[in-house]
Amino acid sequence: MEVLDLHKVYSNGVYALRGLSFVVKKGEIYGLIGPNGSGKTTTLRIIAGLVKPTKGLIRIAGFDIVKKPEITKQYIGYLPEEADVYYRLTGLEHIEFYAKLYGLDSEAVEYGVKLSGLGDRLYDEAGTYSKGMKRRLLLAITLMRKPMLAILDEPTSGLDVQASLKVRDIIKQFVRESSSSVVISSHNMLEIEYLANRIGLIYKGKLVFEGAPADVLKKTNSSNLEEAFVKIIESSGVENGFDHESTYT
Amino acid sequence: MGSIMKALIHKELIDLLRDRKTIITTILLPVITFPLLGFIVGIIYSQQPVRVAIVDADKSIYTDPLTNITVSSEWLVNNITSRLEKMKFEVEKVNSIEAIKNPIYDVVVLIPENFSINASSLNKSARVIIYRRAVFQSAQIAEAAVNDIIRSYSDRLSNLKIKALSRLANVTVSEQAIKNPISGKTEVVTLTGEAAPSELESKGVITRLLIMVLSFVVVPASSFVIDGIIGERERKTIEFLLVSPASLNSIIYSKMIVATLLGLIVAVVDAFSVMIYFVVAATVIVGNVWLFIDIALLAIHSITAFFTILASVSIALPFITRTRGIRSASNIASIVTSIGTIIFLSSFFIDYSRLPITIQYPLYLIPFVHSVLAIQLFLLGEYVKTTMHLALLGISSIILLIITTKTVDSEKILVAPE
Repeated sequence: MEVLDLHKVYSNGVYALRGLSFVVKKGEIYGLIGPNGSGKTTTLRIIAGLVKPTKGLIRIAGFDIVKKPEITKQYIGYLPEEADVYYRLTGLEHIEFYAKLYGLDSEAVEYGVKLSGLGDRLYDEAGTYSKGMKRRLLLAITLMRKPMLAILDEPTSGLDVQASLKVRDIIKQFVRESSSSVVISSHNMLEIEYLANRIGLIYKGKLVFEGAPADVLKKTNSSNLEEAFVKIIESSGVENGFDHESTYT
Repeated sequence: MGSIMKALIHKELIDLLRDRKTIITTILLPVITFPLLGFIVGIIYSQQPVRVAIVDADKSIYTDPLTNITVSSEWLVNNITSRLEKMKFEVEKVNSIEAIKNPIYDVVVLIPENFSINASSLNKSARVIIYRRAVFQSAQIAEAAVNDIIRSYSDRLSNLKIKALSRLANVTVSEQAIKNPISGKTEVVTLTGEAAPSELESKGVITRLLIMVLSFVVVPASSFVIDGIIGERERKTIEFLLVSPASLNSIIYSKMIVATLLGLIVAVVDAFSVMIYFVVAATVIVGNVWLFIDIALLAIHSITAFFTILASVSIALPFITRTRGIRSASNIASIVTSIGTIIFLSSFFIDYSRLPITIQYPLYLIPFVHSVLAIQLFLLGEYVKTTMHLALLGISSIILLIITTKTVDSEKILVAPE
């Protein structure tokens, strides 16, 4: 996937992206990190075809997502940051419903059931699930059709340590079993360090750093990604925190 | 595309059928509350005390020497008492007109002095004075009942006088020819001049009620669509759905279909419930009153309800999809449904089909007017015009729906303006 000079200005005049460019290679886990309001969610929504870019180009497997959305949509699996479940549908009904929408067979449903790891709880209404269980269910639905590109927006946001570990295991299992690429956004630097082959630091709608986690640590002379993150932001000459022009993500 | 729509509708139906609160409040509640309300109203109505005091200031019996007609004030008092008591009224004979100062009496009937002399006379008339308490409905009911008895008594007395005069003059006369030498006669006919069936007037009342019922069905349908679109955004389920191969159009259409289905069920249930309300209320009050339930009328009501729901949701949809929260979306929808309610209620007083063309045609711009006309014209046997109005309602709804789906996109749904 190629993202070239991506700009996004919302109808209310908010600048979310200002010339973002990066490339995600086949079979790679690309971590997109950045503070709140930096433009991560907007970027992922544009890639998923939910929001139109103001300017710029995104190509997935060579197809322009704006010109050929019906093709690129087939390649993408997208898990939004705050996605929730239908409370009155069971977990299994969720998997079957989305399988029908994507035109998947029973094998994919079985794979989804397996990925979720929810066992007998799949027969319960999803409204009774914990946050972690809901997240695992939605992640399993996203990945059950083995998309060429999985876009995961804060997949462990708000989850406790155990639930986060299970989610990370699902992502790892998925990458192991497929040759797909994953773009993952997160505030959790440890998670990114653990999962990503390369990271891109996005700040105020621009990519301010890109490289393998080890390279980031080396170049910034840091012991962990959190320290590296702060150093990069500080060296950008702007104080960390919200950019009121670009807080809309 | 077909399988996607099928999956979406199936999901919406499961979600709806498991939503017990919505099912109870929109479908089961009217079934229970309307007949129960009818029963309660009937019971309360029958328990409403109506108190009448009768003052016989005449207390005499007089026989006119010429006609030999005897009138007794006591007889009238007893007659009024017995008839009112049969109607479950409380009747008391009192001695003084001071009874009008006692607030417990709804009506005080005064039979003045010389009543018997005047009533039996050929050149004077007697008068009974009814003091009715202002404002109270029970007083109006009692007044009407007393007047009815007096009218009946007066009629019989006038017949006796005519017979006496006829005998004295040795002339054969008809009581009707003397009392009503000219009378009006009404023949109720249809638009084509044929004699109207006796039940047509009753159907007219039912038709007005059915039109009124339409205002109850557009609200739950609108709420369902608002909840389906704005609620999905607030519950964070829409984004995950939007990224699937299901287009925004099919998502909206599936919600519209299920909302309309819900509205249709509510329409039929409400129509039956309202009818049962009137049957129960009328049975309790009057006894054994049966309204004419016309299956064809119910069918056309259901079809009209379907298109009315479609129209109201289609009008509200462009605004609903552009608002941020359920509250603002509900406010917009309530404006649309209020317009509908006003039109439906006005059909109690306005025969839209009889309005001049200069007024009727501009009103065609309001889709709800077609709903009213479709049902009103069906009652009159104008089936072609009924179909035309239903078609106009359907076409305008579909056009609005197309405009909505063409002008809304996932970004507008996800990032609605403040």
